[in-house]
Amino acid sequence: MATQFFEHQDRARRQTSRLIFLFGLAVAALVLGLYVLAAVGTGFRGTDPRTQQLVFEIVWLDPLLMIQVGLLTLVVVGGASLYRVHQLSGGGRVVAEGLGGRLLHSDSNEPLERKILNVVEEMAIASGIPTPPVYFLDHEEGINAFAAGFSPSDAVIGITRGCAQQLSRDELQGVVAHEFSHIMNGDMRLNIRLMGVLYGILVIGMIGYFLLRSSLWAGVASRRNSRDNSTMVMVAGGIALMALGFLGTFFGNLIKASVSRQREFLADASAVQFTRNPAGIAGALKKIGGFEAGSQIESPAAPESSHLFFGQALSSGLNSLFATHPPLAERIKILDPNWQGAMTETGGAAAPSQSAAAAGFAGDGTATAFAGSAIDQMGRISTAHLDYAVRLLRELPAAVKEAAHDSFAARAVVYALLMDADPESRELQLGILDAKGEPGVPELTRKLLPEMERLGPAHRLPLIDLALPALRNLSTSQYERFQGLVHDLVQADDHIDLFEWTLQRILLTHLAPNFEGVRRPGRRLRSERQLRQVLETILSSLARVGNLSESAMQESVARAGSALVKAELQLLPEDEVGLASLDEALGLAASLDSSAKERVLRACAQVIAADGEVADSEAELFRAIGDSLGCPVPPLLPGQALV
Amino acid sequence: MSGAALFLAILAALAIVVAMYAVGIFNRLVALKNRYENAFAQIEVQLKRRHDLIPNLVETVKGYMSHERETLEAVIHARNQAVGGLEKAAGKPGDPAAMKALGGAEGALTGAMGRLLALSESYPDLRASENMQQLTEELTSTENKVSFARQAFNDAVTLYNTAKQSFPAILFAGMFSHSQDAAFLEFDSQAIAEAPKVSF
Repeated sequence: MATQFFEHQDRARRQTSRLIFLFGLAVAALVLGLYVLAAVGTGFRGTDPRTQQLVFEIVWLDPLLMIQVGLLTLVVVGGASLYRVHQLSGGGRVVAEGLGGRLLHSDSNEPLERKILNVVEEMAIASGIPTPPVYFLDHEEGINAFAAGFSPSDAVIGITRGCAQQLSRDELQGVVAHEFSHIMNGDMRLNIRLMGVLYGILVIGMIGYFLLRSSLWAGVASRRNSRDNSTMVMVAGGIALMALGFLGTFFGNLIKASVSRQREFLADASAVQFTRNPAGIAGALKKIGGFEAGSQIESPAAPESSHLFFGQALSSGLNSLFATHPPLAERIKILDPNWQGAMTETGGAAAPSQSAAAAGFAGDGTATAFAGSAIDQMGRISTAHLDYAVRLLRELPAAVKEAAHDSFAARAVVYALLMDADPESRELQLGILDAKGEPGVPELTRKLLPEMERLGPAHRLPLIDLALPALRNLSTSQYERFQGLVHDLVQADDHIDLFEWTLQRILLTHLAPNFEGVRRPGRRLRSERQLRQVLETILSSLARVGNLSESAMQESVARAGSALVKAELQLLPEDEVGLASLDEALGLAASLDSSAKERVLRACAQVIAADGEVADSEAELFRAIGDSLGCPVPPLLPGQALV
Repeated sequence: MSGAALFLAILAALAIVVAMYAVGIFNRLVALKNRYENAFAQIEVQLKRRHDLIPNLVETVKGYMSHERETLEAVIHARNQAVGGLEKAAGKPGDPAAMKALGGAEGALTGAMGRLLALSESYPDLRASENMQQLTEELTSTENKVSFARQAFNDAVTLYNTAKQSFPAILFAGMFSHSQDAAFLEFDSQAIAEAPKVSF
């Protein structure tokens, strides 16, 4: 059974061909428009001195002109799109900063900010992704939110001031869940790519605007008769370009609308699934309906990014055909069939939620039994996961949680997690820490150790999820020092154990894009043989982690691999596999397409589960592999099967 | 179409490309500026924490060191100066005058606190008190965090200045209100060098 996550990614990919067609149509329309403009422009002969009328000698069919105009348009549109795509390769934070977002620090104690951060954290742990950075749009009064990025690793969430102030905790959770579903469904990647590509057709309008402004200015500055006509031509040209620009925007919105509307319904539905609380997200939509500012976004960057938002960001006017979001009433009706059409009037801030302790779920105290296996449920969070996340967060000692939220102390949390159980190795590690550690950190690590030892394995990865935002705020040189120390601590006992490898892998996957730029998978798999090698490395490494005999391992690898490639996969010998070679293999595997990744993950799960038990370290390993492939893996619930 | 028109078209295309490149540089500078402003916000948080701890410290110490009035008053004075310095620097991270003023004020505070703590060494009752131990613990932790945040800020400032000064950014930077290099935040260590005055 293909899981929803991969289905969505594939569907997004298929939509791409339709989008390319529409985009091509837009460019063709622009070329035509520009050609007409150029033909008129080059046919302009001046003013008839007797009648004071403009004289034109237009050649309507001029192949050379058409080619020139076509080339120029392609260069401008192509160049602009490439430029924007390159700029956006910085990831979600580029979008957020462009919209005027202010990064919230994870150790903020301001009540409004704390509320948002807590809700996002709970959702992140439930989904198995690191807490995304949260950007606050201070100046936006409308109730809205967005998620942007290429993958869960560089995803960011944005919340407007209106959203934070007007919504209750439940409603906020609904909105955040909606955004998380975009992250989990892989919608974000297409969205951000759309932004880049559509920029090309928007740029012509921008040039027109610039031309208009500068020619008006020049016309005012010099008002001699002989200049009048040329200025007028420039003004006319500017206006015409702007008109063409609207054409570009028209197509742009058409393209965006054809993609985003269906997905918005889907995201609403997923949000309900996550929170078991249709009232939350429906409530938010009703408040938008009743709120004067609605979900309007004032920022000049709004047109470009309108499809990233939760609610309709721009007033549609006659653009209801090209609205990026389905009509509000329709969305509410689907979530709340008994709704009679009354929107919620809001004026001041929302009443403080009395159920803050209940954390927005119908807490009846008992954990919901969870039937689906982890791999089948990937990309679909449930209330069980959310309940689990809230409980987990409550179990963490306050000092440890506080440390994880603070950039300075988060490093100590990671070092403490890496401390060996064996006293001798630990002494060695503490020695390294004393020698090379940053000022004040070794002491803090020692202080945190006793509390952290009491935590079970289930808390380890969530703790990293909590600490990642703080770690992202390290400066580049601080990060390099941190990375070096993590490496030294892991190597201290000459033996990389599974958890150490998992930790390093997750840190690398999620921090590297922050400091080294979001990199697309560089090396691609070039041949069937290479793919087989990669798979053998991955599956053999996993098989050797378990407790089976050599022959049983071979069997599990072969069986798991049969779904992936035709040739039978061989179990690689002990000395040829190791966690080091796993790094390289995963790097290559990251370039596979969605359905291939799904099968790889399923195969991994099968091999891990082959020995009849899934140790905590193996579950963590599975999560790290999922992370490396860009596939969020929610926490394995107690009693849940892996495959 | 004439050769001249074609030439103009190419020129126009080139101009657009150059313009886009310039915009790209501008955006990068803006992003780096955002980063160091963000880092400064972190310093503010830690410095406020430091400032908030001091009245508590003075109260605790007063009971035991009642005749060390000069030293105590010096700490309170330095603390108030630092609070003022921080307020003034709040909207201007990287501004040379603001950074210098803040750095000086915080440096003086560090010096005054250092003298106070050195003095407290000669009061074993004070040292043994649980309150004092907890406070020194918090102070040390806060000092570490301040130092850490300051380092992160200076790193971010370095990145910004380097990007701004490199070629070809340096050609455009002046036009875009990125003409001035951002200033580092240094805590003036001269104040610390002064030997603590001990009076009996």
